[in-house]
Amino acid sequence: MSESTESGVEAADGAAQILDQRYRPYHGPRHGLAGAVRAVLVSSMRFTLGLGRPARHKFLPWLAVVVALVPAIVFVGIATVLDIDLISENILPEYHEYYGYIQAALFFYCGIVVPEILVADRRNGMLPLYLSTPLRLWSYLASKAAAVAVTLSVITMGPLLFLLVAYTVEGSGPAGIGEWLTVLVRILGSGIAIAATMTAASLAVSSLTDRRAFAVIGVVLLLLGSSLVTSSLVETAELDPRLYAFNLFEIGAALKDRIYGIGPPLAFVEDNGAPGRRLSELATWFVLCANAAWVLAGAAVVWWRYRRIEGTQ
Amino acid sequence: MSAETASGPAAVASTTALTQRFGSTVALDAVDIQLHPGVTGLVGANGAGKTTLINALLGLRAPTSGSANVLGLDPRSQGPALRTRVGFAPERDVLPDEMRAVDFVRHLAQVRGLPRSEARTRASDCLWLVGLGEERTRTLGTMSTGQRQRVKLAQAIASDPQLVLLDEPTSGLDPTQRSEMLTLIGEISSEHSVSVVLSSHLLNEVESVCDHVVALDAGRLVACGPLSELIGDDEGVLVELVDVTEPAGTVDAVERALRATGIALERSGTTLRLGGGERDELCDRARDAVADAGARIRRLETRRRTLADLFETTA
Repeated sequence: MSESTESGVEAADGAAQILDQRYRPYHGPRHGLAGAVRAVLVSSMRFTLGLGRPARHKFLPWLAVVVALVPAIVFVGIATVLDIDLISENILPEYHEYYGYIQAALFFYCGIVVPEILVADRRNGMLPLYLSTPLRLWSYLASKAAAVAVTLSVITMGPLLFLLVAYTVEGSGPAGIGEWLTVLVRILGSGIAIAATMTAASLAVSSLTDRRAFAVIGVVLLLLGSSLVTSSLVETAELDPRLYAFNLFEIGAALKDRIYGIGPPLAFVEDNGAPGRRLSELATWFVLCANAAWVLAGAAVVWWRYRRIEGTQ
Repeated sequence: MSAETASGPAAVASTTALTQRFGSTVALDAVDIQLHPGVTGLVGANGAGKTTLINALLGLRAPTSGSANVLGLDPRSQGPALRTRVGFAPERDVLPDEMRAVDFVRHLAQVRGLPRSEARTRASDCLWLVGLGEERTRTLGTMSTGQRQRVKLAQAIASDPQLVLLDEPTSGLDPTQRSEMLTLIGEISSEHSVSVVLSSHLLNEVESVCDHVVALDAGRLVACGPLSELIGDDEGVLVELVDVTEPAGTVDAVERALRATGIALERSGTTLRLGGGERDELCDRARDAVADAGARIRRLETRRRTLADLFETTA
């Protein structure tokens, strides 16, 4: 006597089991929409980081991660070797100041790595296949956006979490559990905020073309162009600092500063030559709204674009 | 949907006055169909509305009017639940080139709701079933068109669907590969009790594997039903004559003689299609009529009615 199990046929006494029955009916649980979202999320994260892909696809995303992490590793090394409280002595940057070190990695990751995540599915025909599953358009796009945001958070939060833990172990960390938790929340909050803004903007540009090269150029132009143009207009031409709302890097940095409790007036506002000094003139609510607007506008562009693709209505 | 009605197995899918318009274009015009267990051929020329009908059955597009029911579910309101039980292979021959076949099939099985471990096992099983067991770790970009079509079939059945929708599964295949693919589709349906809807514009391949046929022409339903009923089993006789000048009018004389005996006859130039009788009797009468008229035969053959005839007479 034998009885069917989910994965094979098992003898009544459990002594023998046929594990390989080849194609057979499946009567086990099905995870529905939640399972579909999870599968696409995990798959997209692996895809973005180049996992399970040829080596050439691993190079760029991990280079971005390394670029973000290396300064943190160097700072921790210096702190360990010199054995003094380098943060209090203003020798090493504070947590909020580390954002300047990850901007290059953010630029690199959003400009070159992120566009592939949407473009590839449209180019290789996976989109109609995905939409023939429990996924709907909104859940597909949400899975993709979440995958980008999570992997981007590795860059926006990873180095700072490493610094926090390393400084704490080394003895230069926040004093007391309350302050430690405050720093942790600020790292997580600012990391998520920056990742959300950058994700929305880069996905919006990527959704406009089926060509990866065009998407890369578009994202790079958006990041660099918005930064250069608004900085010139505000810093050089002395125009309204609210134009910084169009500067992805600076408006993200401004939100990060507010999360760290560094609102107007900023400490370096006295330094008239410092780029971005007039960010301090922006009200906190304006900074918050500007970042939210980037996220909403990015989501709207992606939704608008995908609603016009054949078979997604 | 295992219950059977008095008239036969219950339908796995049906539509009622299903209409789909794109602006002024009517892609589906009040289509009423019933799809039964087995292999159903969805035939029609390019632009007939086959893909639109498949999209409607999957719940990917809201119909302009009318309704559909697939596996007892409404595709529009219960689309996600329905699509865990339906497999689909699109026509486009574009798959992620860098992905291994087994990873691709496993991933789609997971997206259709299977747990990870089960999806992994079934991905290998399905690739063995479609004849790619030894090739399952190859990347899709290194596979031939025939192999890629098989991979698409494997992903469609990996989640153990009750219904599989295959959009032009033989597209791009040579005659041998096409025959193998059709045989495979037939086996999947008959041996594993999976209902299959096979979209194609090649009528002969639908005839070779399908039990039922849904024929569309410019969005209109031309025919729907069991293949045997639509094209019939009666074998007529085709007589092609040589149009000789001496004596003149021999083809007309043969036609008159055969009609006089009460044989159903269709004439197209010098070709006569005879029906309404036993094959041997029709052949004998054709031979006698030709001999009496002094005509000459170029070709005499028995034949079945085909889907092409169905389209000719109803389109």
